[in-house]
Amino acid sequence: MNKWSDWRVVNLLTILLVALIAVSGGVIPSGVSAQDSITLKMTAWDVATTPYWQAVIDAYEAANPNVKVELIDLASADYGEVINVRLTGGDDTDIITVKDIPQYAAMLTRGQVIPLNDYIEAAGLDLSMYSGAADELIFEGSIYGLPFRSDIWILYYNKAIFDEAGLDYPANDITWEEFDALARQLTSGSGADKIYGAHFHVWRSCVQLATVQDGQNSIIAEDYSFMAPMYTMVTSMQKDGIAMDYGEQRAGNIHYSGPFKNGQVAMLPMGSWFIGSLIAAEKAGEFDFDWGVGAFPHPEGVPAGTTAGTLTSLAINAKSNNKDAAWDFIKFYSGEEGAKALAATGNLPAVRTPDVLEIFASLDGVPAEAIEALQTTTVRLELPMHPDVGEIEQILNEEHDLIMTRSVSVEEGLAEATERINEVLED
Amino acid sequence: MGIMKLSTRATTPSKRRRQLTKNLVAYSFILPNLLGFAIFTLVPIVFSLGLAFMSWDGANEISWVGLENFKELRDDTTFNIALRNTLWYVAGTVPLTMICSLGLAMLLNQPIRGRNIFRTIYFFPYVASLVAVAAVWNMLFFPSAGPVNELLRTLGVDNPPRWSASIDWAMPTVVMASVWKGMGYYMVIYLAALQGIPAILYESAKIDGANAWQRFRYITLPMLTPATFFISIMLTISSFKVFDLILIMTNGGPGRATNVLVLHTYNVAFRRFEFGYSSAIAMVLFALVMGITIVQFYMEKRWVEYSQV
Repeated sequence: MNKWSDWRVVNLLTILLVALIAVSGGVIPSGVSAQDSITLKMTAWDVATTPYWQAVIDAYEAANPNVKVELIDLASADYGEVINVRLTGGDDTDIITVKDIPQYAAMLTRGQVIPLNDYIEAAGLDLSMYSGAADELIFEGSIYGLPFRSDIWILYYNKAIFDEAGLDYPANDITWEEFDALARQLTSGSGADKIYGAHFHVWRSCVQLATVQDGQNSIIAEDYSFMAPMYTMVTSMQKDGIAMDYGEQRAGNIHYSGPFKNGQVAMLPMGSWFIGSLIAAEKAGEFDFDWGVGAFPHPEGVPAGTTAGTLTSLAINAKSNNKDAAWDFIKFYSGEEGAKALAATGNLPAVRTPDVLEIFASLDGVPAEAIEALQTTTVRLELPMHPDVGEIEQILNEEHDLIMTRSVSVEEGLAEATERINEVLED
Repeated sequence: MGIMKLSTRATTPSKRRRQLTKNLVAYSFILPNLLGFAIFTLVPIVFSLGLAFMSWDGANEISWVGLENFKELRDDTTFNIALRNTLWYVAGTVPLTMICSLGLAMLLNQPIRGRNIFRTIYFFPYVASLVAVAAVWNMLFFPSAGPVNELLRTLGVDNPPRWSASIDWAMPTVVMASVWKGMGYYMVIYLAALQGIPAILYESAKIDGANAWQRFRYITLPMLTPATFFISIMLTISSFKVFDLILIMTNGGPGRATNVLVLHTYNVAFRRFEFGYSSAIAMVLFALVMGITIVQFYMEKRWVEYSQV
């Protein structure tokens, strides 16, 4: 190698290095010149299989031709963690979709999303249109998100199995005890012909929500012994083969839709989000039996129609460069117009005016009983707002896992949960 | 190193200049890799080392807390469980993988028909996608109707283990999966080492009347010690770092039965947002791996034989 070519290599590398530094954001300005049109970015999950994201955006863009909204598609399984990493890294996505309360708590305690109180006041927005849902998002007087979807827990059932057994469909007023007895009557067969009377998905909420329906207790508590009756009921249903084994569901990574669509399950307590996917699956020919929905079963002494719910909301990133435009979009998305677009895709919006419900009920494939089943008296939130909610949820998940795999007794598991969560609350 | 030594010997200015050019060219070749290492590995490690003495939630101000994070470790039951589980996992995985891969290498070093096909088959799990491996493994060990338990039942076991759904069997299940996945790779290393043993040793041993066991014990094993040493270090380090397999197969469950240090670090950082504390856990893991590796190197002189045949 001669001297000339040596230096050429060094020079080339130096140029490359400088170019690299420049491109990575140090030297060349990345600002876009001010134009009339704005592009907003919004995080979402499973865009391909969730039709409503784009449906509401289309409605908004039709009304606001100068605004374009881009979806950032993330996987639902680790959505919270990915959002956390993005925001910590200084990501400036304008609108952050809030999937659950732990994610909401994490973002607001760390100042990554902005309070919306001033915007709400300026727009004269009346939060009562969310029938209480928005109140659950208020933390120390400020609200950091507006709910657009509000799902409640209901009971799905397979009419064919009920007909076969010669039993009446579950009424909108059954207690958990009646549910247990009914499930035992509906269970039959073995092996490939096995029909389970009830199905409890692996989520902690599938068991724990029923324990807070009476309003006496909350999921964040100082003593968890109140959960014992429900856990005892569900674990003995598993043991007796009335419900599918928890450990097998975990090991086989079984999604609740599989057994239900295969006609293996008579009754499935699940969130109202499942209505939309069932309608789509039925249309696609994935199953051909009639299904119905009823109100969530309730504990003895609690009025029928009491259920648990979960909120999906929208927040504005503190690092967003288009906060005002983002607010306008959020207001639309979580308001009545957005709600109508959302309802048209078979989902339950947080705003439920008669018009919105009418759109939902008239959809092709929605069971006739749905509207009645969705008439709720009281909705309890799945997880209340708390700064340590993420850590508490992890403990609850672990103890749920131990109880449901029958590694520990119901009492032992709940005692351990009480002890561990008190340690967190004391800190 | 060679170039550096040469440059000190160069005396005349023109020679020195030429040497400098040569050095710069050499450095320019290692620069891209070094840059990548510095940006993506070295800086984060140093940052993490610093964070271990600080408190940071990823968004608000970083504050100095000194040894607080390490004090917190003492009372963290999950950390203690994860530490114990990690040691269990290492103690199970390292020897089992070494025995299995050595056994496989010995078998596939024999002149049997189709041994290349078998070598490929045994190597396959190592390159297969971990997510698929975990899913298949969970299916095989499905508690009620999985093939493994069906087989056990036909063999007369009334209550076969519930594998990953049981608090006692979850860790052995994960260990088995990891042995199965890793042994193909280490088998290849052993195969190479086996083929490096001169046939002359075996021949002369045979003439001296050594039987098969003696040939294995006094020739094969000692001749393999450099490979065994290398494998034991690589395996120990990778076993301490286990994360993905456990995340997918059991997610640390049932309860905390298979929670390991890296999974705990991940949960503390990305589910609880305590980056300082999670760095402290990572540092403990680092010290642990470092300590064990140093001991292994220290012990090397006692049992590793570098023969000069």
